[in-house]
Amino acid sequence: MADTQKIKLDILGQVCPACLLVVLREMNTHRQQLKNGETQLIIKTDHRDTTRTIPESARKMGYDVEVRNMETYYEITIGKK
Amino acid sequence: MKSPSAKNNNPAGLPAKKTSSLRTLTEENQRLRDENVRYTRYIREKTNQLLEVMGTQPLRPEEFDDSELLSLDPIGIIAGSFAQVYEYLNQTISDLSEARDELQAIFDATGVGISIIDQDFAIIKCNEKQRELLVDNQLDNVCGHHCYEVYCLKNGPGLDCPAVDTFATGRPVVVSEVRKKDKYFQLVTTPYAKDEHGAVTRVIEVALDITARKKAEEEERRQRGYYLAEKSKLASVLQSLSEGLLVTDSRNRIISINGAALQILDLSQKQAQELKVNELFADCPPEARTIFNVDNPDAFQNIEILFRGENKELLLSVNAVPLFDGDGNTIGRVFTFRDITDEKHRQEVLHRTEKLAAVGQLSAGIAHELNTPLGSILGYARLLLKGSNLLPEQRERLAIIAEQAKKSSAIIRELLNFSRLSAQPPDRTITCDLNKVVVETIKVLQTELDKRFITVHLDLSMLPAVTADPKRLEQVLVNIVLNSAQAIGSNGEINIASQCSGHEVQITVKDSGPGIPPKDLSRIFDPFFTTKPVGQGTGLGLSICAGIINDYGGAIDVRNAPGGGTIFTIILPLPGETHG
Repeated sequence: MADTQKIKLDILGQVCPACLLVVLREMNTHRQQLKNGETQLIIKTDHRDTTRTIPESARKMGYDVEVRNMETYYEITIGKK
Repeated sequence: MKSPSAKNNNPAGLPAKKTSSLRTLTEENQRLRDENVRYTRYIREKTNQLLEVMGTQPLRPEEFDDSELLSLDPIGIIAGSFAQVYEYLNQTISDLSEARDELQAIFDATGVGISIIDQDFAIIKCNEKQRELLVDNQLDNVCGHHCYEVYCLKNGPGLDCPAVDTFATGRPVVVSEVRKKDKYFQLVTTPYAKDEHGAVTRVIEVALDITARKKAEEEERRQRGYYLAEKSKLASVLQSLSEGLLVTDSRNRIISINGAALQILDLSQKQAQELKVNELFADCPPEARTIFNVDNPDAFQNIEILFRGENKELLLSVNAVPLFDGDGNTIGRVFTFRDITDEKHRQEVLHRTEKLAAVGQLSAGIAHELNTPLGSILGYARLLLKGSNLLPEQRERLAIIAEQAKKSSAIIRELLNFSRLSAQPPDRTITCDLNKVVVETIKVLQTELDKRFITVHLDLSMLPAVTADPKRLEQVLVNIVLNSAQAIGSNGEINIASQCSGHEVQITVKDSGPGIPPKDLSRIFDPFFTTKPVGQGTGLGLSICAGIINDYGGAIDVRNAPGGGTIFTIILPLPGETHG
């Protein structure tokens, strides 16, 4: 969607569980916008574990998650299912 | 001002009460600090516990100090996340519940019976259709009952039970036709659940009621059988017909033809089916040909057609009726025909015989009545001629009277002979060798033939004896050969052939004369018909011949040869047979 607001979250250098808590906090904060598709959360992380914990949690909350390997980091996109 | 006692008991020189309060505060502070540490630890532990539930690692002390931990509010974050998980779960449960209801509705509304059966063949679940098809109305709940008892009324699973195979093999099984409770079903069993070893623990059995289809198939089979029997009956009837029958399509192509038609038209089945009906009758006269054209689909009856085959020429009586489809469109025609060549010939012979009989009767009467006065005229003329006092011219005139009376008498004799032949039945006890009669006839006529420079060629085959008087047959042959000789005039040839075919013998006399004009052909055997000048022939010769041959059950025919000349054909039946 062209008019989707993209919130970028750079957590490079951070490890779990801090990463997860930071992302969860953002998801709680933008809950309504994420649920109705107005907003997408784009996370930059270089901690491998995060690519498992964040998608697992986000999916349990009913979001659609996409993980892309960007060579030096991972990009995780969370949005409306 | 400072108290000396306080100075003594308290190095700080504070009064004792204050010192006590300070101690209490210090202790309180320590207790609060301890409690704070304990609560913070509790929060950290609970946070770790929640993080573990979230599937991640516990917090490391170096990651967040207590102050950072509290300001981050991890429990609040996780609680907020759990709220979202909870909300999503509720939504999912609601969706699932809706899906389950939809599925149940589909399960019940589907047109096939569905059951879930366990390893013990106990029914776990069945839909409404299955209940309607195979469950007794009085049985409220089928769950837990054995499927073979409820559905098949048996004491155990049958050999034709597909569920047995699916449990054994783990594969779906289709049984195209099973009879249960007077109904027919198509069954499909599919593995539904498996245990940890991969063995099938439950199967879904789908039963499609094919009773109506089965009955329709049986009815169709019955109708097809009836149709085929009727078709076969009709084919037998058509094949057994003595009349030729052929059916054409809308483009005049022959699509069906019976045996009689093939025999009459001297065709093979293959030849017939490569032809159009108008091509088959292409050689018939133009005015008759039009009735076979595709643009002339009207019915007609008893049209006489001259059919020219390769080796024969037949007179056919043809009928036709159009064929219609269900909408009344013409889709072809049915032609029936019969060979009336012989019938026509027989009619002609009968007609001729009747004429002969009538003329014979008349002739007898006239001859009888004329014979006496004619005898008197001749007698008196001769008597007068004996007189000596006659003038020469009187004598000449009397001689003419006597001569003419004599000629008249000869005609009367011939007439009497003719009437005798017509009246007398033939002697059927005498047999003769036709070849011998031919040879005798040529001997008798040899002088006449030589005089006219006519050569006779004989082509005689071995013949069995026929029932006929050789003298009368000789009379016939003399008449015919003489007729031919007179037709030739002089210089020519006559070919006489004999042959035996089937139940008859045949003599043909072919001359090299000019032939007979077509208009005279049908009258040649009529009594008193002659093409000779008046006084040179009575016109009774060939009539007499026809009468004699007819008396012996045979036939005589005349036609012009394609290359010129005339062919007389005499056919006589062998003993025991009757021609025509």
